[in-house]
Amino acid sequence: MLCEHDKHALIEVAASGATLQGELRPHLGECASCRSTFDEERSLFSAIDSGLHASANAEVPSSLLPRVRAQLDEVVAPRFRWLQPLVFGSASVALAFAVFLMARPHHATPEEIAKHAPEVVPAPTVPATSKNPEGTSPEGTQSAAIPVRHSHAARNSTDRHFSASSNPEVLVPPDEREGLARFVATLNQRRDFAAAFLAQRPEKKDALVTVDPLQIPDIEIKPLEGTETEASDGAGEKH
Amino acid sequence: MREAAQADARREFEERLAECGPLAFRVARGVLRNTADAEDVAQEALLRAYKSFDRLRDRNRFRGWLVRISFRLALDRLRSAKRREQRDTLWAKPEHVPPVANAEEIAASNQFQGHLDRALEELPEKFRLVLLLSAMDGYTIEEIASMIAVPLGTVKSRIFIARKKLAEKLRCYANTINMR
Repeated sequence: MLCEHDKHALIEVAASGATLQGELRPHLGECASCRSTFDEERSLFSAIDSGLHASANAEVPSSLLPRVRAQLDEVVAPRFRWLQPLVFGSASVALAFAVFLMARPHHATPEEIAKHAPEVVPAPTVPATSKNPEGTSPEGTQSAAIPVRHSHAARNSTDRHFSASSNPEVLVPPDEREGLARFVATLNQRRDFAAAFLAQRPEKKDALVTVDPLQIPDIEIKPLEGTETEASDGAGEKH
Repeated sequence: MREAAQADARREFEERLAECGPLAFRVARGVLRNTADAEDVAQEALLRAYKSFDRLRDRNRFRGWLVRISFRLALDRLRSAKRREQRDTLWAKPEHVPPVANAEEIAASNQFQGHLDRALEELPEKFRLVLLLSAMDGYTIEEIASMIAVPLGTVKSRIFIARKKLAEKLRCYANTINMR
């Protein structure tokens, strides 16, 4: 029993790597079993330490540091790395908001629609003698733009561009334009004629169409003149 | 301004690289027991340390910081290698093939070393790291305690417990193997 206790203490001593002290030293001199156990334990821990030392002190490959230095050159340590996701996130949110605003359908009230309705202004008459200085229009026709003036100011440049590009262009031949100018001048001179011309016609209700039967008078058959003469002549010849 | 700060950081890191590079490698080698893998892990650990070097306020803790990075990376690689090996075994069921080792490793290996490596793997991480560092040349227990920011008494007790655990696992082999 005493030997078993000593063996346990010997293992502790061997594990700690300390030297034998106290009662253990004389006991080890007397007990061959404990001495053998202690030697085995010391050998075991020595082998463990040796194996650990071999594993922990392996020769460092000479290529390690040059490889690391080469990779350090390629690495750029960003100082404000935390700022990058913040910037990208903010930009994404702003972009999404802008897209939402542009894609949102605009619901206009009837008042707004009436207010924003375009006002058609008569086109200034072009003198018949005016010629296209650049001569870009096709022969015999000239382009005359009818300006459409919006009563409201354009909200942004996109709308302005859209309205400017959507002005209708009416191609009017020069002779028709000249005739129209003459007609307008006539209307200006004779107001009564213009009023009569522009006055609404009274509505005429469509009457039922009735078809009267044809009236055919009695046919009177009259003998043709000279028929008797020819008949008598013929009888005279037979005789 | 920023370039100058980066140049300073680079210079300071390079000064530590000569001393701490081998340390990172040896920690990884102690876990992985393979030189090529340990070199890869050490390289990755050093690069990670460099990328985050400006965030390390107390530069005196660089060694312990690097040791922990290297130890963690080595453990991750060891676990993924084990998972891969298990997966391959399940699919192919090949005969047991020992891992490929270079001439140096073949020369250094013996039967006991294999048992020791397996016993080391089964140790808890905190014991394994302390045992590895204590087995390295050039570091006293006080330096290890400072390196991993653990009290000196804790380091001593961990070393003692770790060695006893290893001895318990290896005692059954002590009489049958040719100990070096």
